[in-house]
Amino acid sequence: MLKVRLIPSLLLREGRCVKGVRFGSFRDTGNPVTAAKIYDAQGADELLFLDITASTQKRSILFNIVARTAEECFMPLCVGGGIRTTEDIRKLLLVGADKVSINTAALEKPAFINEAAEIFGNQCIVVSIDARKRSDGAYEVFSHCGTKATGKNPVEWAEEAVAQGAGEILITSINMEGTRKGYDLELVRAVAGAVEVPVIASGGVGTLQDLVDGIRKGHASAVSAASIFHFTDQSVIKARTFMREAGLDVRSVETR
Amino acid sequence: MPKIRNCSRCLLPETQETITYDKEGVCNVCKQAEYKKEKIDWVAREKELRNLIEGYRGKYDYDCIIPYSGGKDSTYTLYKLVADYKVKPLVVSFDHGFFRPNVMENTKRTMKKLGVDYHLFTPNWKVVKKLMLEALKRKGDFCWHCHTGVFAYPMHVAIKFNVPLVFWGEPSAEYTSYYNYEEVEEVDEKRFNRFVNLGITAEDMVGMVEGVTMRELKPFSYPPLKDLRAIRYRSVCLGSYIPWDPKKNSEIIRRELGWKGDIVEGIPPEYDYEKVECMFQGVRDYLKYIKRGFGRTAHLMSLDLRNKRIATEKARELIAKYDGKRPASLDVFLEYLGISEEEFMEIALSHVVAPHRHDASKVKRGEPLPDMGRWDRTK
Amino acid sequence: MIGIIDYGMGNLRSVAKAFELLGAEVLISGNSEELVVAEKLVLPGVGAFGDGMENLRKRGLVDFLDKEVNRNGKMILGICLGMQLLAERGFERGENRGLGWIGGEVRKFSVDGQGLKVPHVGWNEVRFGRDDPLFRGIRNGSCFYFVHSYHMACRDRADVLATCNYGHDFTAAVRKKNIMGTQFHPEKSQDAGLRILENYLNMGVP
Repeated sequence: MLKVRLIPSLLLREGRCVKGVRFGSFRDTGNPVTAAKIYDAQGADELLFLDITASTQKRSILFNIVARTAEECFMPLCVGGGIRTTEDIRKLLLVGADKVSINTAALEKPAFINEAAEIFGNQCIVVSIDARKRSDGAYEVFSHCGTKATGKNPVEWAEEAVAQGAGEILITSINMEGTRKGYDLELVRAVAGAVEVPVIASGGVGTLQDLVDGIRKGHASAVSAASIFHFTDQSVIKARTFMREAGLDVRSVETR
Repeated sequence: MPKIRNCSRCLLPETQETITYDKEGVCNVCKQAEYKKEKIDWVAREKELRNLIEGYRGKYDYDCIIPYSGGKDSTYTLYKLVADYKVKPLVVSFDHGFFRPNVMENTKRTMKKLGVDYHLFTPNWKVVKKLMLEALKRKGDFCWHCHTGVFAYPMHVAIKFNVPLVFWGEPSAEYTSYYNYEEVEEVDEKRFNRFVNLGITAEDMVGMVEGVTMRELKPFSYPPLKDLRAIRYRSVCLGSYIPWDPKKNSEIIRRELGWKGDIVEGIPPEYDYEKVECMFQGVRDYLKYIKRGFGRTAHLMSLDLRNKRIATEKARELIAKYDGKRPASLDVFLEYLGISEEEFMEIALSHVVAPHRHDASKVKRGEPLPDMGRWDRTK
Repeated sequence: MIGIIDYGMGNLRSVAKAFELLGAEVLISGNSEELVVAEKLVLPGVGAFGDGMENLRKRGLVDFLDKEVNRNGKMILGICLGMQLLAERGFERGENRGLGWIGGEVRKFSVDGQGLKVPHVGWNEVRFGRDDPLFRGIRNGSCFYFVHSYHMACRDRADVLATCNYGHDFTAAVRKKNIMGTQFHPEKSQDAGLRILENYLNMGVP
């Protein structure tokens, strides 16, 4: 049967991996290409590159990183961050990305999702949703790297994105991101229950149990994590072993 | 205290990396040992070894490179290949900075007795200190420079001296399940990235540590695959071709080379062949104890239990008596890195592996090693 | 020399790099005059069936490939959409004719009511029914990476080299003499995938 996926995510800024908390206070966490090689050697199911470089003039750095990664890691790559046109998507797919993740551009013009899915196929298009839980308990979608409130509800937005042709949804909790206190399971479950496409949970993983909860309690098809791999002694191999032991259907850890 | 699961055979706890248990509670490392004993055709493997060596013999300045630390495994590897297979090796040692006086004497004696060329490399101490502190913070393991240097540096030598065949000692399948015994373990970049470098490469360190460039970190970085392929390299473990038995191996090197064991912090004195080459073995084990709830004695007991050399009750007794010591060498360690014990504990505690929780009340103070007075204390 | 057919459908670099890593000489081209020197061919592809065939036709590759593969007996490996195009017919966005070299048609996954999501994205177990050089050295049941919404239903069971299960068993790989195809992406399936490509490279080599 189809295996549950473990997807390490790498935030990129000016060519380096960085990691922060709640979308702020970033620290250098390494070289993206060698980090990708490590994840590949450890058998990660997929890699997610998210570029948060402020200047769009530095795009060539991102293309370069994706190209070099694709040369050495023969595994699925999803690339996102600042993608605004179909030309951006075409260029990324050409240098080695398998899928792209779009966020703000989709919020500003939902038809963009449809346009991209028509040209590249909907399995190439992941719509990434960043959501914040408000003090009244309701959730709100934010654009522009978590800085601008949109007034949209993440579940409704996810449904709309899928209707437009999104092949997968990446749901990130702004409140939990980088805190290592666990996913916002309520948010993940609400989105996963609402759409027929695979949902990737993101934001907040601190222990290996959080990964298991993301699947079991959040009903996600895939779990993404970053801080746990950068700032603790955990690794993709240990995570997969743990998930396996917990009874999840993950790929086996053996080399063959 | 949360209940921790242990292997019903070797007692290794669930906090050990890669461990899994079957329905009877037997761990996968024990299962691998079964495979090793019962399923491997050692005769065929030994034949493979001979063919491998003959394929390289006499064609280069050296028949092979043997990475060497002076411990029981690398000394045995060197001895076996020279005495029984008559290779002309280039012995390569990466100096992590913490060789103990006794092991240096062992090394000198061994090289003289065997008559081989010996190449020792000591990286920049100031760089090493920075790497130690960063690795300690990020992974709760200060040995990053050693793990990477030991496995990467000899590969640079292989390229520079054009000696493509590299023989390591015991395969990782002896102690963990990153690899198994079904295949010959290739000691390559993939393995390096899988678990040797703790998930951090030299290219990562460059951005994470102040004042170092790739020039300083070259010895810790794995050379490009295309350079290794150009010399048609082959990097394997002797223990994939002959059955590994640390106790027997140490008896052999004691007898043939006058190899001497040493007292090591935190283990029963009769295991004096274990991890004798590093001053900070005790600190390393202490960190493991804090993070995972078991130390080197538990590790040694697991080997003996697996090989049915000790009774379970006696094993538990020794673990209770020797694991969980705050080593005297920690004082030297803190001095080198310029941090306090409080800072050290804060970092260590941030890396505890669930469901274990560290109980400081169980920790006893360890006695200083007899040679501690001879250690170089330059900071 | 491996000829990777460039017909404007998706990423060719990964396939090319994989073969290069395995030591092969690689040519990427959409030009039949260049491709004629290739000893073996690879037809990759990501995207819609109709667009795929249209693009092959536009570049005059349909007749060229028919000659090379069916008359000259050259080996060809189709990947993902590339495998689907080997079929007679595809039903993605209306009915379209395929190359028609392997009997069968390409249909959408219908897994409603089973709680399964479409597209089929991720790693899944591939089982091969018979020993074939394409799968040499690979454990039966190994996982490969899939990303597709349509699958190929073959008319002749003998053409089905391997299957996978997603709601129901479906074709994961095909082989009819010199014509081969995988629904999964070997260039994205790490060690197991590279092994498939290596096997393809070594096929027919004495």
